[in-house]
Amino acid sequence: MVDVEVLTPEGEVFNGEVQQVSTRTEVGEIGILANHAPLLAALRPTELRLHLSSSETVRYAQAHGWLQVFGNRARLLLEEAIAPEDLDAAALKEQLADAEQRLSENEKGSADFARAQKDRDRAEAFLAIAG
Amino acid sequence: MANQKEVRGRIASIKNINKITRAMEMVAAARLRRSEQRIAALRPYAEGMRKLTRLAAEQAGGLPRVPVLDEHEQLNRVGVVLVTGDRGLAGAFNTNVIREGVRVRDKVSGEGADTTFSVVGRKGVSALTFRKLDVRTSYVGFTDRPAFANAREIGEELTARYVEEDLDRVELVYNRYVSPLTQHVWRQTLLPLQQADVIGEGAADERQGAEPTEAEQAQSRSQWEYEPDPEELLARLIPEYVTISVYRALLESAASELGARMTAMRNAAENAETMMDDLTLEMNRVRQAEITQEILEVVAGAEALG
Repeated sequence: MVDVEVLTPEGEVFNGEVQQVSTRTEVGEIGILANHAPLLAALRPTELRLHLSSSETVRYAQAHGWLQVFGNRARLLLEEAIAPEDLDAAALKEQLADAEQRLSENEKGSADFARAQKDRDRAEAFLAIAG
Repeated sequence: MANQKEVRGRIASIKNINKITRAMEMVAAARLRRSEQRIAALRPYAEGMRKLTRLAAEQAGGLPRVPVLDEHEQLNRVGVVLVTGDRGLAGAFNTNVIREGVRVRDKVSGEGADTTFSVVGRKGVSALTFRKLDVRTSYVGFTDRPAFANAREIGEELTARYVEEDLDRVELVYNRYVSPLTQHVWRQTLLPLQQADVIGEGAADERQGAEPTEAEQAQSRSQWEYEPDPEELLARLIPEYVTISVYRALLESAASELGARMTAMRNAAENAETMMDDLTLEMNRVRQAEITQEILEVVAGAEALG
């Protein structure tokens, strides 16, 4: 078992022991099991899965964030962690369309472009989770 | 002297004011508690970010050169962010921030630079527009319940302008929450970010619970994995502090606004009560005078007949 803490600027979302954490870093999908090597990683929007046991899983829509694993303890610092049932698909679609429009309007490499790209990634991942 | 009807009318209207201000006081008090909790909720996240940054910085051998840490050589234009409220009736809450903003502008023009304002809250926008000051961007509609996304919008806009050298320094002015009775106007240099803001000063907060001690960190340093490498991780982490600082300011300001409103409304309700007492006294005097007058008239009439 591994101790997991999920923190957002708006408060603690999860704190407890799990068998496995499944999430996604800048590099790719990652699973954290007990006694994982120390790790610092940047996280990308995806579905965060906390496997409490082989049958029970807690899921969150995870926005951009950071992961620190040390001494059998994983701490996720996320801009947002939303329960899938709280996602608003209609609002997300609007955000996605808005982000895509900004992507096409702004020059590649500009700050606005990077921001639009980030918003698009988040909206896309969240929409997939909202189904 | 006023007649009974007039005085009674004034008592009734002051009674209404008393009821309204009492209600506003109670609403503010209830929401203040939630606001205080939101400030407390940010703390673990901010602490976690700080520890993460410190770890990565140790590995990378210091903070890398990122634009938000770089001081500009020339000071041509200063951005001032004023955090006010969307609504008034909160004592000196809005006025104090606006006054400090104007003071900063005067000081900046003394140094030979221009000031542009970014304003949060309707009250600040209208006050600055009235004074014909340069309001570049305004953010309204969320001051009583700011979300992290609001802070991100503001933070990223400022960072982009700083990096593009449109701004050479950014000052953040807001009310810092101390207690419902006390709020202090606070000024903080947001950009360039200070090294101390990012890594924190002293290591006292480092030794809590199951956190790795420095010895343990050193021992295991060679085993740390990074995705992506520490330099790039830091380049992305550091700008986050701008957003966190802005978010903190928004939360502090929201709590201050509610605290200030609660106090202002309590004072108003108490004033209304004092006025009601005075007016009741006045009304009794008027009524007594009218009765006396009537008796005098009756007596005078009777005497004239007899």
